[in-house]
Amino acid sequence: MTTVNTPAAQDPSALYPSPFKEFWHAFARNKGALGGLIFMVIVVFCALFAPWVAPHAPSEQFRDFMLTPPLWLDGGNSQFPLGTDELGRDLLSRLIHGARLSLLIGLASVVFSLIPGILLGLVAGFSPNRAGPVIMRLMDIMLALPSLLLAVAIVAILGPGLINTVVAIAIVSLPSYVRLTRAAVMGELHRDYVTASRLAGAGTLRLMFVSVLPNCMAPLIVQATLSFSSAILDAAALGFLGLGVQPPTPEWGTMLASARDYIERAWWVVTLPGLAILFTVLAINLMGDGLRDALDPRLKVQS
Amino acid sequence: MAPSEATVLARSTTPEQAPEHLVLEAKGLTQHYQISRGLFKDNATVKALNGVSFDLQAGRTLAVVGESGCGKSTLARALTLIEQPTAGSLVIGGQDVANADAARRKELRREVQMVFQNPYASLNPRRKIGDQLAEPLQINASLSRTERREKVQAMMQQVGLRPEHYQRYPHMFSGGQRQRIAVARAMMLQPKVLVADEPTSALDVSIQAQVLNLFMDLQQQYRTAYVFISHNLSVVRHIADEVMVMYLGCIVEKTSRDLLFERPLHPYTQMLLSATPSLHPDPSKPRIRIQGELPNPLDPPPGCVFHRRCPYATEKCKTEVPALRNVEARQVACHYAENFL
Amino acid sequence: MSLLEIQNLSVRFGGTDAPPVVEGLDLTVDQGEIVAIVGESGSGKSVTMMAVMGLIDHPGRITADRLAFDGQDLLSLKGRRRRHLIGKELSMVFQDPMTALNPSYTVGFQLEEVIRQHLGLKGRAARQRALELLEKVEIPAAASRLGAYPHQLSGGMSQRVAIAMAIAAEPRLLIADEPTTALDVTIQAQIMELLVNLQRDEGMGLILITHDLAVVAETAQRVVVMYAGQAVEKGVVPTLFDAPAHPYTEALLAAIPEHSQTDRLHTLPGIVPGRYDRPAGCLLSPRCPYVQPRCQERPALEPYDRGAVRCFFPRNVAPGEAPVVLPEHQRPSQLPEDRHGAV
Repeated sequence: MTTVNTPAAQDPSALYPSPFKEFWHAFARNKGALGGLIFMVIVVFCALFAPWVAPHAPSEQFRDFMLTPPLWLDGGNSQFPLGTDELGRDLLSRLIHGARLSLLIGLASVVFSLIPGILLGLVAGFSPNRAGPVIMRLMDIMLALPSLLLAVAIVAILGPGLINTVVAIAIVSLPSYVRLTRAAVMGELHRDYVTASRLAGAGTLRLMFVSVLPNCMAPLIVQATLSFSSAILDAAALGFLGLGVQPPTPEWGTMLASARDYIERAWWVVTLPGLAILFTVLAINLMGDGLRDALDPRLKVQS
Repeated sequence: MAPSEATVLARSTTPEQAPEHLVLEAKGLTQHYQISRGLFKDNATVKALNGVSFDLQAGRTLAVVGESGCGKSTLARALTLIEQPTAGSLVIGGQDVANADAARRKELRREVQMVFQNPYASLNPRRKIGDQLAEPLQINASLSRTERREKVQAMMQQVGLRPEHYQRYPHMFSGGQRQRIAVARAMMLQPKVLVADEPTSALDVSIQAQVLNLFMDLQQQYRTAYVFISHNLSVVRHIADEVMVMYLGCIVEKTSRDLLFERPLHPYTQMLLSATPSLHPDPSKPRIRIQGELPNPLDPPPGCVFHRRCPYATEKCKTEVPALRNVEARQVACHYAENFL
Repeated sequence: MSLLEIQNLSVRFGGTDAPPVVEGLDLTVDQGEIVAIVGESGSGKSVTMMAVMGLIDHPGRITADRLAFDGQDLLSLKGRRRRHLIGKELSMVFQDPMTALNPSYTVGFQLEEVIRQHLGLKGRAARQRALELLEKVEIPAAASRLGAYPHQLSGGMSQRVAIAMAIAAEPRLLIADEPTTALDVTIQAQIMELLVNLQRDEGMGLILITHDLAVVAETAQRVVVMYAGQAVEKGVVPTLFDAPAHPYTEALLAAIPEHSQTDRLHTLPGIVPGRYDRPAGCLLSPRCPYVQPRCQERPALEPYDRGAVRCFFPRNVAPGEAPVVLPEHQRPSQLPEDRHGAV
């Protein structure tokens, strides 16, 4: 038998890139998600380098330039590209520094609800007869209360301020993570590969964190991204109600609240923080959708 | 003394447990599940396994044959110690599982491993296969990372995988390759018993052949005993030494492979053989008309579990449960087994 | 005129230069015939029939020299006329009965829907026909099953219901795509017997798609063996199994435990090439134990008196019946036996 120079039938393994490349390829196909990502990169950059990016200090009041319109309107001043607020503070600088705060609140509240949420969800999933029902009833009770009211109540008890805002939002977001994790865990627990790990001698902790949890991350990542944006909205709402971050700290929601009276005279003081919130939340939501599309179908792909 | 004999002798603790290469003894394994039927009804009992007993010797293959609902998956779970049986005993390598303490039980678990039916579900999609293969060693043996990796590579080579596959994820492999990985993982600890739950049912014919060859090669090398669960009688005929036919949780016939295929004694076995299509159909062989379907396990028929579908059922069959008894070198659970000799 | 005529069918996913999933398939099925299409995963057997049924969506593209049912061109058929044909005259049964039935509606509702759509019956007449159909597929206590939901039925029962739905409109051709793969062996035997009886009683043509050669040996009259999108051998039962001509058919038979004389089963090295891995020459050449230099060219499907084979060096072809290599313009598009004996 002579050898033939035909390309050997390759097995599938030669064709596949790493999981991250595959994910990126799927994510980047979604133009909206990509746009959202680019916007968020800009926002994050501004937040990280706020002191250097912003033209002025956020609390510096320019008494001579109160309620200056933005650059493109009559009476605008190139010193203050987006105008100033009622106390003469530069709006652009305040928005940039406000980004820092909003992102910080979003990140902190997600982290502080994601980690306990995952832990509780794991326990509830692995212990469906004892700890599970207890945890889930607790979460049911929490979910029965409207999230914003609950946040308001918590802040009312703890007092206003940045840290308490984060705590309130974290508590309010907790039940959805617990539910998601538990559902994902219960779906994975009966799979053969978990049984195989059990047969290899894996204990509960190993099963939880090494075998099961990595397979539950996709819906959690998507939820975390989306609740990032609702955390920003909640913080803005609390700020608007005067319960969140207190002035003069530049937080977008607080800025909205203090500018309520100036809607007619100086619309930019109200509108621009509102637009900042809008675009940031939109960008994050687009990213979240893109993440979901890129992550979930891959889980269901069989070769 | 042959080396394997000596090892087995060294493992057993008391002289009464005469080895004869016996790796597993199951006696009267029973598994009943309680199903709740709502607030106002009593719990129903599903008798998934009813008094299953068999012995297993090193290097031999026992095939468990039956259709869905016969209890073979429950049996697999009981043998691999995933579930505790409601009644009955299991002795692995001379050690009684029920009497073993937690540490012993952990050791015993290693001795029985499993290969699952669905190659697409039995590997963790988020871990590299090399890590998954190393996991049993990581948990049960104190080896350095390099030593582990060496062992994993050695096993991978044995099952026909290439060294670079270590870094890859399951979705990069075909069904047949995944099944090889699953076999490799099960063999990492060199268990005494391997339970294979329909390992080739989801594979194409040619891939099935490759995987079956792999099973046979590994058995020759490691003298592992196999409990091979399958509903495909032609596969069973090829690979089994002994065959155990199950129906609704009971053993209906247990005998050597050749005797079973030459002359099945139990009507259900006859029905199975008749229903199995053959490449060279023999027109002279009578076709047994297959009646009915598996009864509801929540409401099993009285007497012989098979009587409602059996063409030879009599009044006795409807009332008396036939015991599994010896009929000329086999075990059959039928009142009229002698008639078929 | 044959019931189903397929000439040079190709199916591609993607652009016109995408590698085909099915390539150059010829097939004819007459009234009352049972033809089996056999192959492993990746052979394209299911895609072929989905193309016939019009179930291939964009980005799939179907090209064929001829694709006709009962003389009518299926490629140009659109809309209502197509709906009238597919599902009524030409019907299909799928592999997994649990997903083929809609879990939210009762069996009776789904059956009556088909009856209403294709037979125009309504109300009591439809229900009566539904009952008759369930009895025809030998479902015990048929009347009580009309109100059952699919999840309340066993696998075997669900497949019978699916078959009932497929034959409701009295099709002339029934395509069964792996109808028993998901079922236990005794149920499989029952379903196959049912299909064969129905086929005989109604005079339907039956196309059976399967990977199980034993089922083919017991049921079919003619066989088409597919490999990587091409038909590699056509033949009749049982000759194909006794003396396979194509090395792939031979290897397939050797891999079946029943056929094996030795302990170890004979297997071909490697796996079926995917769409993008196809060799330039004969598709089996990287794995074929009899490969020769000439196999770098793609062989065509050559007829010989027992069937046809796509190989330059076919097995089991006696000297007297060497493959007839006709010049281009004389190559028939049908098997000799399709034209009832005339070569």
